[in-house]
Amino acid sequence: MEPLRPGHLSVPGKTEPTDLIAQARAGDTQAWGDLYREYAPAIFRFCRRALPSKEDAEDATMEIFMKLRDKLVQYDPSRSFSAWLYKVAANHCWDVLRRRRARHDKDMEDVDQLPLETPEPNQLERLIEERSGEEVRKALDKLGARARMALVMRYYSDMSYDEIADAIGVRRPFVGVVLLRARHELRQALGENTSLAAGGTR
Amino acid sequence: MNQNPNSAPHLDEITLLLYVERQLDRQAAQEVSLHTQTCERCLNLLRVLDRESRLLTRSMLEDDEPLPARIAEFQAKVKRSMQWLWGVIFAMALLGVYSLYSFVVEPWQMRLEQAGFGGTNLLSILVFQGAFWKGWQSMYTLVEFVALACSAGFAFFLGRRYLKRGTALALLFASMGFSLLAPVPSSAQGVKVDVDMKNRESLEIPKDQTISKDVYFAGSQLRVDGTVDGDVYAFAQDADISGHVTGDVICFARSLRVSGQVDGNVRAFTNNITLTGTVNKSVLTMNEDARIESSANIGHNLTSFTQILAVDGKIGRDILSMFQEATLAGTVAGNVRARGASLTITSTAQIDGTASFEGEKPAIVASGAKLASPLQYKVLEHKSHREYGFGYFIWRLVWAGAWVLFGLVLISLMPGFAKETIRSAEMYGAPIGLGVLVLPGVAIAALFACITIVGLFVGISTFLLWLVTLFSSFVVVGSVVGRWILGKTDEFWPTIGRMALGVAIVVVASDAPKVGWLITLGIWVWGMGAVAIALYRRLQPIIAPKIPSMPGGPIGTPLPPNTTVAPA
Repeated sequence: MEPLRPGHLSVPGKTEPTDLIAQARAGDTQAWGDLYREYAPAIFRFCRRALPSKEDAEDATMEIFMKLRDKLVQYDPSRSFSAWLYKVAANHCWDVLRRRRARHDKDMEDVDQLPLETPEPNQLERLIEERSGEEVRKALDKLGARARMALVMRYYSDMSYDEIADAIGVRRPFVGVVLLRARHELRQALGENTSLAAGGTR
Repeated sequence: MNQNPNSAPHLDEITLLLYVERQLDRQAAQEVSLHTQTCERCLNLLRVLDRESRLLTRSMLEDDEPLPARIAEFQAKVKRSMQWLWGVIFAMALLGVYSLYSFVVEPWQMRLEQAGFGGTNLLSILVFQGAFWKGWQSMYTLVEFVALACSAGFAFFLGRRYLKRGTALALLFASMGFSLLAPVPSSAQGVKVDVDMKNRESLEIPKDQTISKDVYFAGSQLRVDGTVDGDVYAFAQDADISGHVTGDVICFARSLRVSGQVDGNVRAFTNNITLTGTVNKSVLTMNEDARIESSANIGHNLTSFTQILAVDGKIGRDILSMFQEATLAGTVAGNVRARGASLTITSTAQIDGTASFEGEKPAIVASGAKLASPLQYKVLEHKSHREYGFGYFIWRLVWAGAWVLFGLVLISLMPGFAKETIRSAEMYGAPIGLGVLVLPGVAIAALFACITIVGLFVGISTFLLWLVTLFSSFVVVGSVVGRWILGKTDEFWPTIGRMALGVAIVVVASDAPKVGWLITLGIWVWGMGAVAIALYRRLQPIIAPKIPSMPGGPIGTPLPPNTTVAPA
C-alpha cells in the first residue's frame, strides 16, 4: 500500500532552481524577486492552511520571506531548498499561533486526556467519501493549533516526523499520536452535523 | 481490545496509521502485513486510513486561492516604512483629540455653562437636567462607559481584518486626524449654507423682522419678537418666544417662555417652561417646573416629565405626564394619563376623555371639575426603586442589552479566553473563593498604587482592569446560567444565545427585592474570580506542549518507532 507522498513544491517532482538560489544568495535582487515569485504561492498556501485567516497568511508569507532573505546566507546548498523553506515557514507559523496562545483554545481541553475511540471503518469511509477538499480545509479552522500545524506540515509540505517533532516541540515518538489525534479532531469537525462523527467500537 | 473471529486482537489505530505513514520498522511492518491478511476489519481500517491520507493531501494541495495582489511582489521596505508612519499616526491622533476638545467641546461647554447648565458632561446635561431624573447621573455615566467600550469593541471587531493592513489603518487614522485638525469654527457654524447661525451673547429678533431660515442660537439671551419662518434651535440661558415661529422650537435652556405662536412643536429640555401663547402641534417637556398658563393653547398633545406641572390652559388632545406634583385647572379635549406623587384637579378643570392617575395618594378632585368619566386611580406600587419610577426598569432593560452587547464583543474578540473563563466559572468553589479576595483586593491595590510610588498610571490601569472585569462578571455568570438551562456548547452563536438568556436572568435576579444586592455581590465575586483564574492560566508560561497520556487506553501509550504488536 503506497501512501501518497506529495512533493515539497506546489508542483510535485519539480526540480529546484539551484542557479537562481545561488544568485539570490550572492545578493542578486532580481534573482531574489524571481525566487519569491516561484515559491511565494506555495508558502502562501501553506500559511493559509496553517493560520486562521487570509490576512494572517498574507502577513506571514511576507514575514517568512523577509526572514528567508536575511537567513539566505546560512542556507546549506547541499540540502533541499524547499525543505529549508518549509521549515522556516512552519517555525514562523507555529510562533504566530503560540504568540496568540491559540494552543490553549483546543489543546488544553480535557478531551486531550481522553482515550480515542477506534473508528468503525465503514463509517469513516462514508465520512471520507462525502467530504470535499474545501470542506476539509474549512474544518481545519475548527482544529487546535497543534493538530492543525501537524496535519499541514505532514500532508501539505510532506515534512518528516523528525521535522514535525522539531517544529512543534514534541518528541519524535509522539508525532504519530499528535497526527492521530489531529485526524480524530478533523473527523469530528467534518462530521459535526451528521451522524458520521468518528466513533464506533473501542 | 476487540477480538477478531480467530481470537487474535485487532491492531490499534495508531499502529495502522504508522504503517500507512511508513513509520514502523521492518519487523513491525511485517507483523501488520501478516495480521491484515487474516483480519478483514484491520485491513479495512488500514485502507480507510490510507484514503484519509489521500483526502488530506489532496485537500491541502488544491490550488484554491491565487497569491493575493498585495503580496504578488516581494516588498522588503513595507515593515520599515511603517515605523515612522505609526509615529505620525499617534501624533495626529493626539492632535486630533486636542483639536476636538479645544475647538468643539470646550466652546460648547462654556456656552452651556452660560446657559445655566454648569458641570458634568455634555450628554448628561442635555438629557438629565430635569428633576425627575435626578440621581441618574452615575447610572448614565456607567451606561456611557459600556456604550463607548462596546462601540470601540465593535469598531475593532469589524475592522480587525483590516487592522493587519497597516496602510489602510494608517490612512484611516491619518484622515481622522486631519479632519479633526481642519479649522473647526467655534460652535456649529457652517453646518449648512442656508443656516442663519447666531453666535453671540444675546439675540433679539425685533417685532417687524422676518427670518426665512432656521435659527440656531447658542448664547445667553434669545428673544423672538418677530417672525421666524423655520425652526428655532436654542441653547440659551433664557429664551423668550413672543413672536411667531412657523416651524418647531427645540430648546435647551434654563428658562423658556412661549407667549407668541409656534406653528409646529415645542420640545423643551429646560429648568422651567412657561407657556402663555399658542402651540399648534405638541409640546414635549423635560424639566423641573412647567406652567401652561390659562391663555395657553396646545393644539395636540402635552407630554411632560417634570417635578411640578401646572396646566391652566387648553390642550387640544391628550396629556401624558409623569411628575412629583401636578395641578390641572385647564381644559383637556382628550385623555389624561398621569403618574406621580400628587395630583390636584381644580374646579375649573375639564377633561373630555378618560382620566387615569397612578400615584402615592388619591388625586384631589374639586367638586366643580368637569370630568367625562370618573378618574381612575391606581396606587403606585412601592417597589424597591420606586423613587426612580418606570424609568428605572427601562434602564435595567438598557443595562441588560448593554451587557449582552458587551458579552458579544468580548466573546467575539476573545473566543478562547471567554471559553476558559466560562469553564473556570463552572468550577464554582475556586472562582468564588478567589473572587472574595480579588474583588476588594485589586481595588485596594489600585488605590494603594495611586497614592504610593508605584504610580498613578499603574494604579489607574489596574483600576480600569478591575472595572472591566466587574462589568464582565454579569456576562460570565450569565453564560454559566444560560448553559445550565440550554446545555453546553462550543459554537459561537449558541454561546451568545445562552449568554443573552443568562444575562437577562441574572439582571432580573440582581433586582430582586431585599436580596438583590446580595445576588449582585455574588455575581461580582463569582465572575471576577472566574476571570482571575482564566487570566492566571493565560499568564502561565508555556514550557512545552503537553504530551497526551492515556494509561490503559488502546492507543493512549505513545508508540516508539520500533513498536511491534504483540498478540494478547
